[in-house]
Amino acid sequence: MNPLPSDEPEVKPLDADIVCVGYGPATAGFLTTLTRGLQEESGQALESRAMPGLPPQVLCYERADDIAFGVSGVVTRGRAIRATFPELPLEEIPMATRVSDEKLVYLLDPVGASRRPALMQLADKVLQAFGVKQSGWELPYCPDFLHKRDGFILSLGQFNQWTGQQVMMSGLAQIWPSTPVSEALIENDKVAGVVLAGDGTEVRAELTVVGDGPVGPVGRRLDEVMGMPAGHARDEWAVGMKMVVELPESCTLPEGTVFHTIGYPEPEIFGFFYVHPGRVASVGIFVPSWLETPARTAYRYLQHFVQHPYLWQHLEGGRMRSWGAKSLLESGRRGEPHLCGDGYARIGEGSGSTNVLTGSGVDEAWLTGTQLAEAVLEIYRAGLPFSQENLKTRYEARRRRSWLEEESIIAERARNGFQRGVLTGFIGMGLAGLTKGRVYVPRPVEDKKAARLEDFYVGRVSHSQIEKIRERCARDGKPLHDALMDAAGWPPIQFDGQLLVSHQDALLMGGKVQAPSDTPDHVVFLEPDVCIACHDKICIEICSGEAIHPGSGVPAFDHEKCVHCGACLWNCPLENIEFCAAPGGLHSAEN
Amino acid sequence: MEPILVLLHTTDEGALPKAALETLAVAQTLGTYHLAVLGANAAAAAQSVSAGALSVRAIEGDAVAVSRYATDAVAAQALATASGATVILAPCTLRFQRALPGVAARLNGACDTHVVAVDPDLSIHRWYYRQRMEATQSRTARPWFVLIEPGAADPCAAQPGAAAEVLPCAVETRTEVIGYQSPNADQQTIRPDAQLLFVAGAGWTKKQKDGQTHTDEAGSLILNFVQHNKTSLGSSKSLVDLSGEGQAVLPFLTHLHQVGQTGSTPRHRKGLSTCCHGEEPHVVGWRFINERRAINLDAACGWARGKADVLYVADAFEVMRELAKLL
Amino acid sequence: MPYQIIVCGGLAPDPLQTLEPVTTPAGPGLKNELMLPAVFDPWAGHALYEAANLAKNVPGSVIKVVSIAPKAKLQQVMMTVAQKLPFELVPLDGPGGGFTDSASVATALADAIAAIPGLDKSQMLLFGGWESATRGAGVVMQMVGEKLGITEQFLAVDELKVDESGALIIKERVEGGRHQVSKCAAPPAVLAWATGNLPEPSNHPQTGMANMRAMMPALQKAKAAALTSTLSYASVALPAVTRQTKIVKDVPAAQIAQELADWIKQ
Repeated sequence: MNPLPSDEPEVKPLDADIVCVGYGPATAGFLTTLTRGLQEESGQALESRAMPGLPPQVLCYERADDIAFGVSGVVTRGRAIRATFPELPLEEIPMATRVSDEKLVYLLDPVGASRRPALMQLADKVLQAFGVKQSGWELPYCPDFLHKRDGFILSLGQFNQWTGQQVMMSGLAQIWPSTPVSEALIENDKVAGVVLAGDGTEVRAELTVVGDGPVGPVGRRLDEVMGMPAGHARDEWAVGMKMVVELPESCTLPEGTVFHTIGYPEPEIFGFFYVHPGRVASVGIFVPSWLETPARTAYRYLQHFVQHPYLWQHLEGGRMRSWGAKSLLESGRRGEPHLCGDGYARIGEGSGSTNVLTGSGVDEAWLTGTQLAEAVLEIYRAGLPFSQENLKTRYEARRRRSWLEEESIIAERARNGFQRGVLTGFIGMGLAGLTKGRVYVPRPVEDKKAARLEDFYVGRVSHSQIEKIRERCARDGKPLHDALMDAAGWPPIQFDGQLLVSHQDALLMGGKVQAPSDTPDHVVFLEPDVCIACHDKICIEICSGEAIHPGSGVPAFDHEKCVHCGACLWNCPLENIEFCAAPGGLHSAEN
Repeated sequence: MEPILVLLHTTDEGALPKAALETLAVAQTLGTYHLAVLGANAAAAAQSVSAGALSVRAIEGDAVAVSRYATDAVAAQALATASGATVILAPCTLRFQRALPGVAARLNGACDTHVVAVDPDLSIHRWYYRQRMEATQSRTARPWFVLIEPGAADPCAAQPGAAAEVLPCAVETRTEVIGYQSPNADQQTIRPDAQLLFVAGAGWTKKQKDGQTHTDEAGSLILNFVQHNKTSLGSSKSLVDLSGEGQAVLPFLTHLHQVGQTGSTPRHRKGLSTCCHGEEPHVVGWRFINERRAINLDAACGWARGKADVLYVADAFEVMRELAKLL
Repeated sequence: MPYQIIVCGGLAPDPLQTLEPVTTPAGPGLKNELMLPAVFDPWAGHALYEAANLAKNVPGSVIKVVSIAPKAKLQQVMMTVAQKLPFELVPLDGPGGGFTDSASVATALADAIAAIPGLDKSQMLLFGGWESATRGAGVVMQMVGEKLGITEQFLAVDELKVDESGALIIKERVEGGRHQVSKCAAPPAVLAWATGNLPEPSNHPQTGMANMRAMMPALQKAKAAALTSTLSYASVALPAVTRQTKIVKDVPAAQIAQELADWIKQ
């Protein structure tokens, strides 16, 4: 076939006033607040500095093919969202509803394969002796710091779509999907805009709003160039993976039901189950970086999670409608970068706003966006430049004064204990939560790291067995995790073609993953020798989409399967992976 | 019963296509009908199947000797109007699919295409969203052109009857039909008369067990099979897209081969899918393939979920090499 | 001679989505229709890329896209389409689903086209997809053409060339994998496109920005399309047939080949 015969448009810089990177809840909050401000009487007087005579030119570039392709398990108190929309019309937002019932459930291990400390095993026995039903013990209360009972359940994709449509119909901001941003344009230590990944277009703007999430290339590059504030580091992560399930007719759980779970499939893995309107549920887990197993596909764990009797009683006979995964930056305030500099500001999860104690990120992200928008309007009205100082005194100061900061401080040390062990982790979290951060477990000098396979499976899978599994998987070009989990006593998954499906089918049926076949690989293994010498290749095992598989020494990457979760990036102990901006990924609008 | 017209066209050679006899068969289940034929040799063709028809008309001559909108539309309009029919059944060939919707608009009526069945009460059945869901529906607008999908009914054994009244047809048109182009022998696409549809998926172009791609061998295995066995050749969208982007894949595959959501929905008795995962957007293009078999390395692929009759979990390169020896 | 190319194109659910019919007070619809991500109809897309190609080769030509869809959805989809090539949008706010009546869609499109200021029919090429991914009927373009009085029409077009006399040389798909080649002396003409031969153009942010300056106000002012219907639906259902798949594993290739050969010969 012939390419278009004539010339492509010449790549010229674009001029705007504000350019945003990534359309998630933080940018949604920013653009909603900003465009509202520009519509108000006082806002209408504001003029573009790039194109005098016009209103400020506001652009947003989103990597995914649609603004509805986000992933999150959102049950939120929605304090910030409700501050923006006091009469939030939940009935207008597909899949949204109020929380009607909330439970914290401790899940026993019904299969006997999870790695539980002795005390936990004992607790399981005691609970069993007391006749706990369906291997799930509903805790008598949900601690205040965790509860969401006055909040609501959302589909992030649908919420993004709902907000995005309103922002665009205002005519005051443009959100461009399928347009990844490769890097920030840095000139003389100032951010002067961004560079788009496709054709390298420079978009020059007075203010660059970075909301590209925890693994976004623009935010990461800024961290490299600007450095992190003293004592801050991004060293706690998790993979969040979820399914949206059409519940069977037999399920009688009312909409708005929320279960938070702990204890299974591994004690370190937290889970959730929320019921949306129309007999649909979001079900998912968080696999944290402190889980020591080097073979930890979230997908296999998710399949065991949904089959836990406490959940399976509601899910059996259900059908997977949607599936997705993302990385969560769990360092909280400790992972906060410089929030602003000359010409740029950071918002959302990539700015360290996620609260790991309360298990809440979307509302916090939204709040940071609204705070920045209020600051931007003030700066415009005052006719000031977007300098670090002006952004600090208006955006950062707002953030420091808000409940976000107060709660981030409480949460800051709440999870330290998990670096020592699961039980210490839960105790530390409880202490920090109940004492509002005054009492906490100190963080050990050395953080937990993924163990070597042979060490991790001591006593359960022999070295020779591991060696055989390695050989077989290398021959078949498959990751190790399924074979290892089988060997460690996890029951094989009985696929039913509906809810329990192969990983490949989860990509196709649930994630509807698609990528343009003509783009270069966005996961790049930097030094081949480093990969060849790497013993465990966690990147292969952690990959949420089976996109990384054993290659000839260096892992092979199939970009058509990548869901852009970015887990390979923070799981490479040798920092030998570059995760670049690229289009594609998930095509589900329900996650 | 409303007056029904069966409107047919001949081929360039002056014969009635199989689809014409299929439409007649549907009409015969509904009661009496008028008959009209346009195209080369239309009068004789009409008489050859006119037994039992209430009236028989034809338009032939240079104007309608070839398929062309401007002339076909005028001829069809004249035939439909002369018959006094309110419901016009016609085969959903590309010739009529081009011409008749516009005629319906001229007559302030309606036109439904790709109809797979018509009930005695004139409810019609057709597919929506690319063969994903089937609707039963009826219309109040008249005249109503109902175009019957080829292959939806068995052709009838129509008998000759009364001679046709030949109507005149004179039309001005700016369009001249120059001729036809057939694909090269190695660019075979859908052969409507083939028993078997062979579909190639993107797996043919992926790295094989030895870590290398073998697209040359894939190409020769596929073409050899298709040419030798006179099968239709289809492709998944992903493979066509790869070819379209100039990658070194299977250069003989184009959009004409594409089966599925954004491709064609061919009708064949049997279909063999190779190296294709069997995802829904592709398999909707298999709606009218009766017997389906698939070869795929993944036992949990889409074909295994009730989409194929038999799934062979095997290396398609090996199977096709062996098959070449046998056929 | 420059052309005025009008491209008719609606929206369709992203082909990867799972679709299910539901009954609504307004007739059949898709389950969660509002939630489903939408794309510009793939065949209309091919028509649009061909229009862009023609406009590039014939300087002075302009492209206008006429589309009926819920306007918020249309705005969302246009953020992708508008990055591919320069065009103006003539939006009509209305239902975009497959169960709307093709005849009324055609009437609304024809009325909108007739109302385009400065339209010169002698330069007009009316483009669209030959079928949609929703209704899949392949009738709307012909009806629009008729309502605008255009009697030179082509269906399932894969190629358009302009010869030295300015005549249009058009290849249409016909049965048996062949193409019929016609020569149309001059516009106006209707070309309902099959897939054509052009790849999807890549995104150009500046093209998108330039397009959006006129599109955003047009979308905000989009008028509601009044659609009537002479259709009534008795039922819309998913096919119930699921095959009992026999899975053959761990069998030598030669044996599989033998089984297949026997089946093919049957």
